[in-house]
Parts: sequence; structure tokens; C-alpha cells
Amino acid sequence: MHTGALVIAMNRYLNQVRAIVWKDFITELKTRELFSSMFIFALLVIIIFIFSINLSIVKASEIGPGVMWVAFLFAGTIGLNRSFILEKENDCLQGLLLAPVDRTALYFGKLISNFSFLLIMEFLILPIFMIFFNIDLIPHLLPLIYVIFAGTLGFCTIGTLLSSLSANLKTRDIMLPILLYPLIIPIIIGSVRMTSQVIAGEPLSSMTNWLSLVLCFDVIYIAVSIMIIDFVLEE
Amino acid sequence: MNEQNNPTSSHSIIQVQELRKDFGYLQALSGISFNLNKGDFLTIFGPNGAGKTTLIKILTGLMRPTSGSAIIDGFDALEGNSMLRSRIGVISHATCLYPDLTALENLLFYAKLYGLDDPEERASESISAAGLQLRRHDPVRIYSRGMQQRLAIARATLHDPSVLFLDEPFTGLDLTATNGLKNKLHDLHTDKRTLIMTTHDISCGLEMCDKVAIQNKGKFLFLESINRIDRESFETLYTETLEK
Repeated sequence: MHTGALVIAMNRYLNQVRAIVWKDFITELKTRELFSSMFIFALLVIIIFIFSINLSIVKASEIGPGVMWVAFLFAGTIGLNRSFILEKENDCLQGLLLAPVDRTALYFGKLISNFSFLLIMEFLILPIFMIFFNIDLIPHLLPLIYVIFAGTLGFCTIGTLLSSLSANLKTRDIMLPILLYPLIIPIIIGSVRMTSQVIAGEPLSSMTNWLSLVLCFDVIYIAVSIMIIDFVLEE
Repeated sequence: MNEQNNPTSSHSIIQVQELRKDFGYLQALSGISFNLNKGDFLTIFGPNGAGKTTLIKILTGLMRPTSGSAIIDGFDALEGNSMLRSRIGVISHATCLYPDLTALENLLFYAKLYGLDDPEERASESISAAGLQLRRHDPVRIYSRGMQQRLAIARATLHDPSVLFLDEPFTGLDLTATNGLKNKLHDLHTDKRTLIMTTHDISCGLEMCDKVAIQNKGKFLFLESINRIDRESFETLYTETLEK
């Protein structure tokens, strides 16, 4: 393919990804269904934990990272579940599949939307987490953002693929967590460990093993998704 | 079958040969073959479960057949080619419209997906052509079924497809909306587009097409030009087919 044709094809591909993200953001701005349900769920998880843990016995900095990621994980699962269910209304998914769009563009469009929604929700939950657990995250904000970014990306890469798979199933609400949670164990363990170390004031350089593990899984899951999304979306 | 329906004809825009689809032990399509020329309008009648929607899904690249071949406008429908998808449009009882978006946002989104030049202009033109200009900023959720179907047609024809597939397009429409859809389909047919429609409604189906087929149990039991059939005898034949 000539360079000019390649640039045109690439632009077209990026425009299609952008169109899907634009559509998801506009829908969310109008309905606020996805964001509000994720936020309320994450908030409830934190509140339940804070009332069930005696922080005079357990150190908040030790239990906090686990609670934070449980809240992100559960809220994120709700978001992922809704993501493709919205496409099933009026058979919009069929409209997407009939368009001359590469299936990977659909995947990346949905991935960027899911990742952005979850990331926004997480950064709104962080101050609440800080207040409830009495942990000052501000001095560690930059490495924490890095950890949250890597962990959330991993969660969304495989989560978006599996939500597209489970969207066609009658038992989709049950199937998504069953398929997703075993696969994201390494990412969640890595993210919880790194968050603990960040809160303890350790630099990012001291956690390269965990960071490499999480980033490796991010890359592997993106590669797997690109390879199989065609088959996953086929009826 | 006459010469035009011969699957080996090379002038055809649609060439379907021995299409089969199995879902486990169930044979949804068992060897369907037909040809259509540019500008033909084929209506496929058949009872529920005859395999009409399966046939449309295979021809539009949404589903892979177990065996057989289908060439649409020079492209292999079984390869899921995006060039083919830019030449076909699909209208079904499901509108493929996002209920929370406005009519303009819906068409703008599809125009961007299809990579059309000046998507805003194309979306506005299509909405005007559908007679929805005054309601273009209303969310689709509050549209009547007839208005949604008009917008669905605008969506399906936004990219000026050469072949249109219509899967039970009259489902849920009242008399006014049905007449509106008939007029639109007549215009599209006059415009030399090739149309394939599935329906249960004999009067609507026979009124517009120039070829008719009866599909049952995954097979075409009848395929003929409309000029060669008598309406009453066709109705009798169709009723007999359903009773078998």
C-alpha cells in the first residue's frame, strides 16, 4: 500500500474510533446512567468497608489499597456490563457491525470509552477514600495516578472484550464477572501491591517487577483482543 | 426457474449459490440459489422459522454460512469485506438507532462511521429527505414508530448503497407509516437500487416487487418474475405452502 493510501486508511480508522467514543460520551452526558451507577456502587463499597473495619486495630494504609481496588473492580464491572447492553437496544450493535468499520476500531472505541468513564469515576472516588480512611494521598498522587492508570487499563482491555462476548448471552450479568475476575487476578494483585507501596511512600523504581507484570498483561490482553474480536462479534 | 434466475448468470449484482446454514442439527438454509440484476426488487415470503432472516444475515456478512457462496456487487459476502458493507444498506424492524441521541446525532454518528465527506451536511440532508427536519433535535426515544422507521431508512441509505436488504420492514407500522414506507421503497426502486425484502404481508410484498420467492424450511420453493404470476394463484400457492 502507498504511504498516501496508508495515511488515508489510518485517518479513516482513527475517525471511526473517535466517532464511537464521541457517541458514547454524548449518550453518557445525556443519561448519566453508567457513571452514576458506577460511582454510587464504588461509594457504597467504601462505606460498607469503613463501617466493618476497626481502624484502631487495622492500619488504614494496609487495608485501604485492597478496599480501593475492590470498589474500582465492582464498579467497573457494572460499567462494562452496561457498555455493550446499550448497543443491544434497538439492535444498534447490528448497525455498527454493518458499517464498513474494522472490528478492532469498534473494540478500541469501546475500550477508550470504558477506560475514560472508569478513570473519571476513580479520580472522583479518591478524595472520598482519603477522607474515610484518613490517608493523605496528595504527596503520592503522581505515582498513584500511574498505578491506577496501568491497573485500570488492564481491567478495561480484557473487560471490554469479554463484555462484547457476554452481551449476546442471556446470562450476561453473571457471565461477565465469572469470565473476567480469574483473568484479572494478576493485574489486581499487582495494582493492590503497588498502591500499598505508593501509600507507604516508596518510589515507583522499587516496584518495577509489579509494574512490569501489570503492563505485560495490559499488552497481552490488547493483543489477544485484536486477534479474536472478529470472532467474538460474529453471530 | 427462468434464465434470469440462473445462478451462473454473469450480469447479476447478486449471485447466491447453494447457500446452507446449520445450527447444530437444525438446517436453517438448505441450498438456496438465485441471481438478481441491478434494479431488481425481490420479495421473499415465508412463515416464521423459514430462514428468511438467516438468509439476510448471511448476505449482509453478519453470519457465516455452513457452505455455499454469495457475491454481492462483486464482493464475496462471506468474507465480511468492509468494501461490501459500504455498498449495502439494511432496514429491519429493529431501527439500529440510539434512543438517547437526537435524529441528527444518530445520523451524524453513522455518517462518521461510514467515512462520508462532510458528515454534518449529509446527515442534515437525509433528515430533511425523511421529513424530520423540525424534529431533528429531539431524542429518538420520543419519536413514534413510523418516524423511527423513516429515520432508520435515512440511516440505511445515508451512504447511498447499491443494494438494500429489508427484513420485515413493515412490522409494527400503522397504515400511514406503511404507506410512507411503500412510497420510499418505490422511490428507491425507481432509483435503480437492488432490493431484497422479506415479509409476511402479501399485499405489500406483491405490490412493489418485480420478483417473488416463497421460502420454507430453508428452501426456495418458488421463485418467479411478478409478470409471470397471477396474484390469486400466488396467494393460493402461498397458503398451501404454509399448510404443508
